[in-house]
Amino acid sequence: MSFEQQFDAIENEITEEGDAPPFFSRPGGKIFIIWLVFTAIGVVIGVFAPHHLLPGLQSGTGSDVWATIVFFTVLAAPVAAFVYALAFYSLLAWRPKKSGSSDEPPPDGPPQRGNGPLTILWVGISTLLVIVLLVWGMTVWSSQQVAHDGALQVNVTGQQWLWTYEYPGTGVTSRTLELPQDRPVEFNVTALDVIHGFWLDTMGIQTDANPNENTVIRTTPTTLGGFVVRCSQLCGLNHAFMNNKGSVVTPTQFGNWLVSQGATTSAAAKSADVPESSLTPSSTSTTTAAPMNTGASQ
Amino acid sequence: MSLTTSEHESTDGGEHHHEYLPAVEGAENPGGEHESAGERDKKERLMIWLFIGGDLVILILEVFAWFYLRTLDSNGMWNAAKCTASANCVDGLGNPLIGPVAKASIWHPMIIMSLAIISALFVWAAESASRRKAAKSAVSGPALAALVFMIAAIVVQILQFQVLPFTTVDGGYASVYEFFMGSTLAHLLLMGFILTGLWTRAAKGRYQGGTFHRVRIMRMFGVWIAISTSVLAIVGGFFV
Amino acid sequence: MSIATAPLLLEDTPLGPKAGGLYRRQNALVGLIAGVVLAAIGWVISHALLQGSNWGSDMVVTVTLTCWVIGFNIGIGTFNAPFRWVVGKDSTREDELYGAGVGQGAARYWKYCTDHKVVGTQYFVLVMVLFAIGGTLAMMIRTQLITAHSSFLSPGTYNNIVTIHGMIMIIATIIMVSGPFANFILPIMIGAKDMAFPRLNAMSLWVVVSAVPPLLATFVLGGVDTGWTTYAPLSVQAPPAMDAFAICIITFAGVSVTVAGINTIVTVSTMRAKGMTMSRVPIFAWGSVVSAALGLYAMPAFLTAMSMMITDRATGTSFFVNQLGGAGWLWENVFWTMGHPEVYVILLPGTAALMEIASTFSRKPVFAYKAAVAAFVGIGSLAIMVWAHHMFTTGWAPNLATPFMLTTELISIPTGVIFLVLIGTIWKGSIWARLPMYFLYLFLWNFIIGGVTGIYLSDVPADQFFHGNMFTTAHFHYTLLGGAMIAATGAVCYWFPKMTGRMLNERIGKTAFWFIAIAFQVTYFGQFWEGFQGMPRRIAFYDPIFLRANQMSTIGAYFLMLGWMILLAAIIVSWRNGKIAPANPWHAKSLEWKVQTPVPLENFLVDPVVTSDPYTYGEGVPDGQNQPSAAPEPELVPAGASESTSGGGAS
Repeated sequence: MSFEQQFDAIENEITEEGDAPPFFSRPGGKIFIIWLVFTAIGVVIGVFAPHHLLPGLQSGTGSDVWATIVFFTVLAAPVAAFVYALAFYSLLAWRPKKSGSSDEPPPDGPPQRGNGPLTILWVGISTLLVIVLLVWGMTVWSSQQVAHDGALQVNVTGQQWLWTYEYPGTGVTSRTLELPQDRPVEFNVTALDVIHGFWLDTMGIQTDANPNENTVIRTTPTTLGGFVVRCSQLCGLNHAFMNNKGSVVTPTQFGNWLVSQGATTSAAAKSADVPESSLTPSSTSTTTAAPMNTGASQ
Repeated sequence: MSLTTSEHESTDGGEHHHEYLPAVEGAENPGGEHESAGERDKKERLMIWLFIGGDLVILILEVFAWFYLRTLDSNGMWNAAKCTASANCVDGLGNPLIGPVAKASIWHPMIIMSLAIISALFVWAAESASRRKAAKSAVSGPALAALVFMIAAIVVQILQFQVLPFTTVDGGYASVYEFFMGSTLAHLLLMGFILTGLWTRAAKGRYQGGTFHRVRIMRMFGVWIAISTSVLAIVGGFFV
Repeated sequence: MSIATAPLLLEDTPLGPKAGGLYRRQNALVGLIAGVVLAAIGWVISHALLQGSNWGSDMVVTVTLTCWVIGFNIGIGTFNAPFRWVVGKDSTREDELYGAGVGQGAARYWKYCTDHKVVGTQYFVLVMVLFAIGGTLAMMIRTQLITAHSSFLSPGTYNNIVTIHGMIMIIATIIMVSGPFANFILPIMIGAKDMAFPRLNAMSLWVVVSAVPPLLATFVLGGVDTGWTTYAPLSVQAPPAMDAFAICIITFAGVSVTVAGINTIVTVSTMRAKGMTMSRVPIFAWGSVVSAALGLYAMPAFLTAMSMMITDRATGTSFFVNQLGGAGWLWENVFWTMGHPEVYVILLPGTAALMEIASTFSRKPVFAYKAAVAAFVGIGSLAIMVWAHHMFTTGWAPNLATPFMLTTELISIPTGVIFLVLIGTIWKGSIWARLPMYFLYLFLWNFIIGGVTGIYLSDVPADQFFHGNMFTTAHFHYTLLGGAMIAATGAVCYWFPKMTGRMLNERIGKTAFWFIAIAFQVTYFGQFWEGFQGMPRRIAFYDPIFLRANQMSTIGAYFLMLGWMILLAAIIVSWRNGKIAPANPWHAKSLEWKVQTPVPLENFLVDPVVTSDPYTYGEGVPDGQNQPSAAPEPELVPAGASESTSGGGAS
């Protein structure tokens, strides 16, 4: 069968609507099936990959990351799947057999030079999607920007290749980051030498530590547990080792930890926002204040 | 794509543009390129506009750097205005720095700017002489004058490096200012090279008889050099 | 068609013994020697005068490598024409013909040759060499990461390899389409005899060649441990290798790409054949022009940034040192002013080439040609307004996050139109499943994934997780390697017969394709996985929780490299003794396929006259909309031949 005949046969298959074959054997139906499959794959990946792969999220800003990934994936999967469906359907329906090894081209296709309404529709839909993305992004971003009164202040200083955390008002300076649960925190991030990236992955916040500049980021840890602070900005030889452990603890544990680090009980209670009586004025605190070593997370 | 044979050349067959063209005496670039001066001029004018466009990006970024660092005044080191003897400021070499850093003289950039503008005006004169098919000296004279003024501007610029009241290590203002000077010098040198060509070629009579196109290109570039030099001179001089 | 009397080809013109002047003595070897000699002189002088002073070794490296670049270009002949011009000794027609390679045979490929086809071929080879170097470095990175604490590379070496892999790939991808194809193919496509400025064309090539050795010199100068973004102040403190890096960029971006971009724009604007209106030019020309225009905006910014970097390092200025009144954010702004447009400089010509491929291999006109042009222009203009999305997490101007989020996400609208054009072109066509079409499909597959993962990064809250993370690495490899470079590979397969005169071996090519297609997904899905888990970029050692993902990525990367090597084998084998290609193996309609292969000097034996665009597939059939005049399609015939015996005879 020549290409010409094959092509006609394909054309007939598409255009012949006389017997009205069942939906799924018509082109639209086949495209729909391919689209459905790809959409399903996309949505499944979009919903389950973050769920299984993201580190255990410990704050509202962390959950924002998860929600954004899921929302965007669910939004984008049908669009991407639509392009795939059209592309693959074209490949299945309009590729004359053995055209891959032929030196002669198949017969010319129909000379469609464009379709104004379709183009406008396409642009319209993508504009709509962009607006949705933008509104989502702006809403979430502005909610993260809100400063809370009485937030715990932590001064973060990066240097080659370690982090130092200072808790103003308590005199505590530490190489591990302890944070009280359910308490807004403001990190004032700076660096001594070069740019570092202060990244709390489980809390979905990140900012660069710039020398001589102070950058503020905020979050409210909600889930107890440990995390790792990793440097996200290439900062020289031992960049790979510039990480250390941290943990979210209860306010009382936090106060005790401050005391164990040398803070006075009153300062610790004020900083941790707990009654002074609930703190044990000894250094036998329950949380670990592991000495910093550069490979701590390993 | 549909092709038909070229109408305008049907009389002498297809080899028209493969003929060996003898050098045309007196014309710009004799025989080297087989197209009319007008065609070539169209290309070259577009090229020079694009080149100026690219150079404009550089100029904008330089000026951006100036105003950004001036506004940011990182560590109080734009011109170390707050660095008193007790403030323990240090410069880039770790030596104590007491500010504010002395301003560069306003006169050098102003003189350079004026020289660049005068030079551009002479190129303009050369162009109009070439356009009205004036005598050879009416083109080469202004060309020489433009070159002389450009060399003078280069000399003043080099001189300014010698007499600056600060060095590169003295903070943001000093850094950007010296970068402006370097950038100006590079532009002036490029223009000096071009004007040398203008003069030698004008002296050889290459721009006689209405072949003014290349002079116009050089005028366009000369005007641009004058503009960019002026912008840097004004920003560096008046917005410390 | 047969030509009654063979016309005298321009390349057969006999030249006098002195044609070309100094060019007769210049070639790449002379350039190499001149470069080395001048660099040695520069080193001796600068070392004697400057070593030991403040920033001495930075100045010595800067001077030495600048001398290398200038020396090489003196030796190869870059400066001949300007100096001949300034002393008024213009070249003659004979000199021009010599410069275009007449009478030099294969030796012209080693010379400052002004023939755009020679330049295109030189670029083609250069790009493959750069990809080979960059690919080898990539394999070293992946090998290091096959275990959590590998001792294969030291951290310093690793960081330098990360930097140089990045930069060499950026250089290679910037020139991978605009070098070979915008030089070789584009002028023929639009019916021009050459590029607008043939000497600048040769210059753009040889300047890149001279820029590569300084980049490789970083390995012996202490290494650049900053990544290709060279964020200050780390880069200001880096070893003298950073000066070499900056010299490379200033030479490459500031001179070569700028000059090449100007050349492309001027060529398409002023040298189109009679009747070739801007709505009739092949869409590839539009892609190339917008890309060149964008490059003309981006590359001067790179030049400025790197010049400031050099003055910071070698003269002690403080543009980027916060303690001394500078700002790292200034670097980031100026750098990304270049950095984001540069992405589209890379992407657009490749995408445009795919539109040609889609049309030819679906036997259909390019769908929505004007929308495609609008998309290119839209991307081009938006691309200069999005730079700060690379700076969402740097602390610079948090208030500007929203506007930059807006512009960034707006770019997905014109990008979506590009998909519409490609899909619309394929739609209902009859697909000729030759190798270029394979790469078109792979592009569609990859670029969708690259695009979708991009929207997470464009969103500030999500970017706070993904920035500086392997997810970002995977994302931009999906767009630049999986998108742009796959598009360029499609273009290679498409134009190979015209450029080399031989058919590409598709059996080997398709084997390579499947390796590349599948291994690519494995490699970068591994990296998406790493990113989701929270692995930072550019680290030589990692937490063992990332082990599985890294092993997946590394194994994928080995097979990916294998795929590229098979493709390279296909190219080499076919170029040496492939099947001789007919002039128009794809039965395509644009002008480059209407000239004979090998393409003669100055391309056209007669000036082409164009009466429609090159996409008149199937237009004998009434369609009902956009019906153009169904003009018959005469073969390209020399003007003389149509009048049979009259006058056409060249002796």
